[in-house]
Amino acid sequence: MTPAQAVFGEVEAERRVASAPLSHVSIELGHLYMEDFQAGPDRLREQFRQVAPWAETMRRSWQARVPGGRARVSTCFLIDDYFSRFSTPAELVPAVLEAAAECDLTIDYLARESACAETDGVKLARLVEDRLVTDPPAGTNGSRPPVTETGWLCNGARSPYGGAVQAMESARAWEPPAQNAKRRHSIFVDVELWDSDSRGRTWSCPFLAAVWQLLRLGLIRNDGELPVRPVPGGPPFPSDWEELPAIVQLNPAAAPFSAYSTMSVLSSRFLPVELAVRTILSQVFVDAEVLRQVAGRSAGEGVPLPDELVDRISYVFLGA
Amino acid sequence: MLLMGEVRTGLLQNSGEIPESLCQAVLGLLSGERVRVSRRPIMYAVSPDQLTGVDCRLASASRARVRGVGTVLSRASVTGGRVLQGSSHIRVVRAGSDHRLSWSHYLARPGVVEVFGKVRVPDLVEGFAESGAWNDCLDLGSVSERFMDAVQGSPLLDRKAPFKSARTRLRWVAVSAEREPGHEPGHEPGHEPGQEGPGIRFVLGRDRVRTLRLVLPGGLTPGVVDFCEDLALHDWLLTTLQVIFERAGVGTATRAEVTARLAPAVDHLLHLWMPAARLDDEFTPFWERLERRPGFSRQWLSLVARVRDQIAVNTLALLREAGGW
Repeated sequence: MTPAQAVFGEVEAERRVASAPLSHVSIELGHLYMEDFQAGPDRLREQFRQVAPWAETMRRSWQARVPGGRARVSTCFLIDDYFSRFSTPAELVPAVLEAAAECDLTIDYLARESACAETDGVKLARLVEDRLVTDPPAGTNGSRPPVTETGWLCNGARSPYGGAVQAMESARAWEPPAQNAKRRHSIFVDVELWDSDSRGRTWSCPFLAAVWQLLRLGLIRNDGELPVRPVPGGPPFPSDWEELPAIVQLNPAAAPFSAYSTMSVLSSRFLPVELAVRTILSQVFVDAEVLRQVAGRSAGEGVPLPDELVDRISYVFLGA
Repeated sequence: MLLMGEVRTGLLQNSGEIPESLCQAVLGLLSGERVRVSRRPIMYAVSPDQLTGVDCRLASASRARVRGVGTVLSRASVTGGRVLQGSSHIRVVRAGSDHRLSWSHYLARPGVVEVFGKVRVPDLVEGFAESGAWNDCLDLGSVSERFMDAVQGSPLLDRKAPFKSARTRLRWVAVSAEREPGHEPGHEPGHEPGQEGPGIRFVLGRDRVRTLRLVLPGGLTPGVVDFCEDLALHDWLLTTLQVIFERAGVGTATRAEVTARLAPAVDHLLHLWMPAARLDDEFTPFWERLERRPGFSRQWLSLVARVRDQIAVNTLALLREAGGW
């Protein structure tokens, strides 16, 4: 008798990880806060007018890179409904779309910022917070839990604080904080992730923006599933933000929402926010299986990606 | 270059063994990630992988200053609803740069620690296996211990262990018998692991510390972690059963006392012995080697027989007292 091969498997013992449909690049055409809305429709039009050439440049550069010029490019627009609620989708969305169309821009996907905190019962921000692996200062050998300040995340070692100095003791001289990956001099960054009051936790703008980048890069999973899928939608839009899906697909012919890389065209007032976002994203541990999937597919298409996910994110910062 | 890790093994702090659903709850250390459970041939549940960042010295036999930066990969597991393990390991590789890079570089390589400068593999192997964690050197055991503590701290456990037992520590290091690509012959004369054949060296140390050195026939596959955890589990079972038997006071205590002291072993331990239950085939020869010397299963079966004999003798005595015959 020849030896028989036995194969035994158990479903509960295996991990299954869904893969996301991916474009080559996801371009963020804008991020609308209440103050922009209050500044009137001209502000929005001006913003789109400035963004349009950069979006076109990005599209062309990917067309040149991808064999046959068949670059998959999707565009998105984020509306803040988390820190302040203003207007209604029925009123606002058509105005945004109209302003974009005047500058020959198509918004493929529209997303609500509150979706980055929680969507369809999935606490995305918590999911990402659980995956923070803090950047260890030199001398971290695992013997003690990582030093953390609840609700904060930094890129080095904080300046030691004196605490209550006893009357007889001389106050300790100030010592500087230090960046872990410094090149001689430090640029120390300490980011507030959230604060809380009687109504519960409020995530900070950089933290939600970090979740937003991870969503656009297709790197978040909940129990192996994609936590948010764009829902096709169009006019008429609802009169309540809650009734608008987290991500609405406005253009039926759009390339997938998530992409190998992202590009955001932003006002330079967002520069500190994005530094904070990169500080956070540098410390997020993305599922190794998801990273393998994305790397495998991009390599298969002949567009190898950088290993570090912060290197997959690019920006254009515009003057005020 | 090499893999190194530390496994801590102990009794789950609960009066009875816990069912699968509870295993899933206590090991769910990461939101949005399922606990994997395998039911054959014994229930085994394992937490999602966790990462811890480190930037510190690595122990070396020559006491050379070797700095490593990267992440430790850890997981906690429960076998048979009864035995808890915390396991951490790293893959040590040479750094491509001479200075520390941004943290995103290291996070893109989970479980890898990059070492700077000239490093000799045997120096690290000896240093880690022999000295373990000096004051400021990499301490994988504490990382493993923290994940165990996180599980033991679950409010779902009643913290009433049926008997006293101590945690054991297994420190392991694995190198490959294959030469690394690009390795220059004669570069590190005499001590290169590539000059040794595949083999295993298991040493029982003091304070319940065991060290395991492996030379793998092929590359450094992740299956080695399963093997080390399996070995640590069975070493703990054997150690714990031995202690229970020693404390039973055979020959000095009354037969009823002896039986009462041996009962937890029957209730909670005897059915858990299943060496190499989930291992890749390539590790079977290592288990077979250990079965020959020191002979884990031989010692286990002998102890189990003694436990059962004691209980049988006591049963007979009770029957006699009751005037049954």
